[in-house]
Amino acid sequence: MDISNRVKKFFLPSLNVKYLRRIMFLGLSCYLIFSYLLIPLRIEGHSMEPAYQNGSFSFCWRMKYLFSEIERFDVVTVRFTGRSVMLLKRIVALPGDTVEFREGMLYINEKQINEPYVHHRCAWNLAPRKVAPDHVYVVGDNRGTVMSRHRFGQIKIDRIVGGVIL
Amino acid sequence: MSKILLFPLLILLTAAAVFLFLPNDEKIIRKNLTSLAEYSSTSPEETTITTLKKSTLAAKLCSQPCLIHIESFDIGREFDKKELKDHILMMKKMLPDTHFTFHDTGVSFPENDRAEIMSTLRLKGKIDTTRFTDAYELSIHAEKIKSDWFFSSFTVVEFMEQ
Repeated sequence: MDISNRVKKFFLPSLNVKYLRRIMFLGLSCYLIFSYLLIPLRIEGHSMEPAYQNGSFSFCWRMKYLFSEIERFDVVTVRFTGRSVMLLKRIVALPGDTVEFREGMLYINEKQINEPYVHHRCAWNLAPRKVAPDHVYVVGDNRGTVMSRHRFGQIKIDRIVGGVIL
Repeated sequence: MSKILLFPLLILLTAAAVFLFLPNDEKIIRKNLTSLAEYSSTSPEETTITTLKKSTLAAKLCSQPCLIHIESFDIGREFDKKELKDHILMMKKMLPDTHFTFHDTGVSFPENDRAEIMSTLRLKGKIDTTRFTDAYELSIHAEKIKSDWFFSSFTVVEFMEQ
């Protein structure tokens, strides 16, 4: 078989049963992978800027916490009733930690935390509070808005769908 | 194909068609939810008459009275249809370019004439020149009154606690 025939066969294969079976397998694999394991995310909103820009794309890797523990500063997706609409947030405190904001600076267990991912910050003030067991404290990276307009706080760990890659 | 096989296949197809196209309580509730989102949404070209009509239609989907509970806004009381219509109208005027959609909706029936709905409400729109997007988890109750389903309560689930 010459090279042009091989190229033609590669791009335009004959529609036989084997080919259709292959296409079906590929379709099913894509559906399973992109619905349950590696969920594509379209980021809308500015709460995670500058790390995640409005209009950009990313992926939620659902297996991330299957074999590893949740760590502070991980970026995670938080579900509402399902996985179609999720929140993108950064974990800043783990169960039992004490969280506080003083003039926009984050304090965990009374120690000031250096947050290189925060570029804009308003003078947020939040009295110390302890993160409940089975909960984590999540905040967005963009602290340039007033505290009342930013959605953050402690959430149950089972609300976390997975980690974010890319 | 032999006639022996054709007959059960036809029965199977009819049963599938009936299951797919015959309205049931869950389908009616989901349709009402879609209508509610559509009536609550506002486009910049919408005329005042249309806004008024849509607000009335949205209120008509709710029971009399209807409980609204939003802890973060300190709202937790029953509203009658007139009040609901006025509030929807006010909201539509405040958000003249906003699209509402419901996602990941689950419907369960604890009793024959009562339904519990969990859904995610997504808002996407523009205020002046600034685009915004927001989402809320809602716990909704619906009641069957004279063969029609009406939403009897809306509660915003506050799962993130500061």
